[in-house]
Amino acid sequence: MKRNLGRLSENIDYTLLITVVILCFYGLIVLYSSTRMTTAGGDGYYFVKRQILWMLSGFTFLTMILFIDYHYVEKYSKFAYFMAIILLVMVIFSGKTIYGARRWLPIGPFEFQPSEFAKIALIIFLADFLNKNREKLDYFFYFLIPFVYTGLFILLVFMQPDLGTSLVYMAILVIMLFVVGVKIKFLATVFFTALSSIPILWIFLKEYQKRRIILFINPNIDPLGGGYNVIQSKIAIGSGGLLGKGLFGGLQSQLHFLPAQHTDFIFSVVGEELGFLGTLFLLGLYAIILWRGIKIAREAKDLLGSLLASGAVAFLLFHIFVNIGMAMGILPATGLPLPFLSYGGTFMISNLVLIGILLNVEIHKVKW
Amino acid sequence: MRESSSVPEEVKFRLNYLWIFVIICFFILVMSLWYFQLIKGEELAQKALENCIRSLVENAPRGKIYDRNKELLVTNRPAVIVSVIPGEIEDIEKLSNKLGGILGIDPGQIQKKIKEYYLNPFKTVKIFDDCRINKIIEIEERQDELKGVVLEIQPRRKYLYHDLAAHSLGYVGEINKEELIEMNAQDFQGGDIIGKTGLEKYYDQILRGEKGGKEVEVDALGREIATLLYRKSIPGKDIILTIDKNLQQFGESLLNDKKGSIIVSNSHTGEILALVNKPSFNPNLFVGTILPEDWERLSTDSNYPLSNRSIQGLYSPGSTFKVVTAIAALEEGITDEKRKIYCSGKFKIVDQVFKCWKEGGHGSLDIYGGISHSCNIYFYTIGKDLGIEKLNKYMQKFGFGEKVGIDLPTESLGTIPSSEWKQREFHEIWYPGDTINLSIGQGFLSITPFQLHNVISAVATEGIIYKYHLVKEIVSPDGKLDKEIGAEIYREIDVSPNTFKIVKEGLRETILKGTGWRANIKELEVSGKTGTAQNPQGETHAWFIGYVPLGESLICITVFVENGGDGSEAAAPIARAMLEKLFNIQR
Repeated sequence: MKRNLGRLSENIDYTLLITVVILCFYGLIVLYSSTRMTTAGGDGYYFVKRQILWMLSGFTFLTMILFIDYHYVEKYSKFAYFMAIILLVMVIFSGKTIYGARRWLPIGPFEFQPSEFAKIALIIFLADFLNKNREKLDYFFYFLIPFVYTGLFILLVFMQPDLGTSLVYMAILVIMLFVVGVKIKFLATVFFTALSSIPILWIFLKEYQKRRIILFINPNIDPLGGGYNVIQSKIAIGSGGLLGKGLFGGLQSQLHFLPAQHTDFIFSVVGEELGFLGTLFLLGLYAIILWRGIKIAREAKDLLGSLLASGAVAFLLFHIFVNIGMAMGILPATGLPLPFLSYGGTFMISNLVLIGILLNVEIHKVKW
Repeated sequence: MRESSSVPEEVKFRLNYLWIFVIICFFILVMSLWYFQLIKGEELAQKALENCIRSLVENAPRGKIYDRNKELLVTNRPAVIVSVIPGEIEDIEKLSNKLGGILGIDPGQIQKKIKEYYLNPFKTVKIFDDCRINKIIEIEERQDELKGVVLEIQPRRKYLYHDLAAHSLGYVGEINKEELIEMNAQDFQGGDIIGKTGLEKYYDQILRGEKGGKEVEVDALGREIATLLYRKSIPGKDIILTIDKNLQQFGESLLNDKKGSIIVSNSHTGEILALVNKPSFNPNLFVGTILPEDWERLSTDSNYPLSNRSIQGLYSPGSTFKVVTAIAALEEGITDEKRKIYCSGKFKIVDQVFKCWKEGGHGSLDIYGGISHSCNIYFYTIGKDLGIEKLNKYMQKFGFGEKVGIDLPTESLGTIPSSEWKQREFHEIWYPGDTINLSIGQGFLSITPFQLHNVISAVATEGIIYKYHLVKEIVSPDGKLDKEIGAEIYREIDVSPNTFKIVKEGLRETILKGTGWRANIKELEVSGKTGTAQNPQGETHAWFIGYVPLGESLICITVFVENGGDGSEAAAPIARAMLEKLFNIQR
């Protein structure tokens, strides 16, 4: 154990770890600014306190992960996959409905979001599967099998309904397939087939999801209804200017013109209160994490580690890009939270678990 | 120590591409931020400012209305409006069901309203107007389950005596599109309460006061955070009427179940003591939003309860018009105190035969007998001698075809016939028979009861008509007298005193020994004239016009009973009852 600890502290990627810690503090400050006026539970620190609790749990998970060799994944990947399926089925039948979608499973006093767990389960499962079947992926039929596995997840979250998360699964799959080295023409075939089947998919979209996509194309159709979030968010970000209005000084955020400003639209608060410099700083921190993530993937000991790291990078990249793009109105409002900043327990823990996986792959590039 | 990585070269290669992809993604984000925050920043900052500053209107309390004895007639009361904030609703269906259950309205209607009047998530939508207290309590008790439901208090007009003097008082309501265009749009906005009819409309500016307002900083739920600008509203001024509530009430009881008007004025000042119009309506129904069924009932009622008959109804004056014919004939030298005309009961002109109302005739009559017995033959004769031109001149002198100038909106003008008028309207020449009909107040002439009231006032004052008014004083909210509306000459009628003297004697005789005997009161010196107007719609209209001088005041009265029958039988007794009430004579 002592030996392990020594190796651990020797090999750990401090750049990544410190960046994550800075990001967590940055998130807490912005979260406090955006929620201090809402007095849930009669306490301006209510959300911040809870978020700190999630962070501490997340770091506990992260630390625990560091002590497990990632090769255990080979043993437990199928188990993780089936657990995720069971939980996703449970949420459909007994989940709690918030904002018209069943996404939460109550566990004691807390609510747990199985679709978040499923993201990590998917990364683990795909890493193991692609690692074991890399050569066979040259056959188009074999190439399609991971789509079937992922498709089951997508189908289940689609029933909640949750469009954003199903897109995350798809992004993880596509990026991992790309990294493992499948033929580009296979990916292109799937891409264009999907594109041409959009009109058919349109039929299966819920009315509100169709509206979101229409409103993304033109939010001014309904400026005070469905397009409200995006317009208010754009106003908030834009009005921040170069230096922002200062912490706690955002008109839009302090007066709660921004709906979901502590969850999906927290980036607008950063934009308004901390300005272009604040958002640039945030993007810089994210860039460092992704850079370290890709570096870890490149320098991993084996393909399995490389794939695990790539999956984590895919997860983070998609969330960051889609969330910020949505806040500026350049991407549709899909309801994806922003890593390390958005308020939410399951999401915060899963972010830190991903960092744990990255650090783990990093540590194990040398034999212990 | 370090083992060489077993990651395939192809994978490393692909990871380089992934890194490039990440850079592209971040480049897009940075460029977008650059565009939104640095290029469009100013513009969006302005929008953010507008977002949270709201102008709120503070409505001024509307002035109260009192009768001449300072008895309160119209006041304001708080009304509770049930509204919802769409953005706070969690489940529209559940909420509609619960709220519908409490309010006793169809939940589907609530959902429809929310969708129809939805402006933005934070703008309230009115669901139920003027909620009853027991329902308010239930809503407050169940506030937890009714998230998004809010109760708002608004001042509401209250007409204490319901349909009493409803046509004079009028009613208030929300300004509509046409009115917004008509009035200065800068001073008004949708949802403002303005006077729609009657005194509420005529004195709207005085009663309304001045809206105040403030600019406040609000949060997204519309909650006020800070006040940036504040201007206090100025309450409306109170008005004190010339109407005597007790006399008004008594007059309304006299015309109960009847259609018609009673006008009682002091013709030395122009003050209206009572202005009865029946049937009436309850102006409280119009306050807020009138229910469709109420509006349907009132607007389609064939008895026209919404019509202010005294200034809007147009009728033939019948024999009361003989007063005008008599004055014209005396002034034009057609007749005098001495000229006697024989009434055989019939009057022939060309090949037409006109009858007197008394079969067998009145025999020989001078002007006094002509007036007091209301002999048609006497007036046919002098009317024929006068001709339409001269009669028309006197009708104009007395103000027929014009507004009487009372302080109420929407007066009807009526028609004064002339040969040109007939040519224009009917493309026919004026026949001598038309003049005969006109001389006894039948035929083409149509007037409002108030225009006829002008005739009796002019006779009583011998030529001076004061501006009629229903408002005596305007009082500031602090109780100080702001303006007194006194006697103001509106019209002077150029007729010789001798003519008035003769006509007045005739009118006095009418009461003492003529058709107006039912209006005689031994304690008072009543003069007057009855009228029974034929009309093609059915039963004759009953008229009585009269006056009583008493010290400083000169009380004039006009009674009109639509389809009431005979003027002597139906109108004169009502005039007597009103005068007895006014002069406090017990029977």
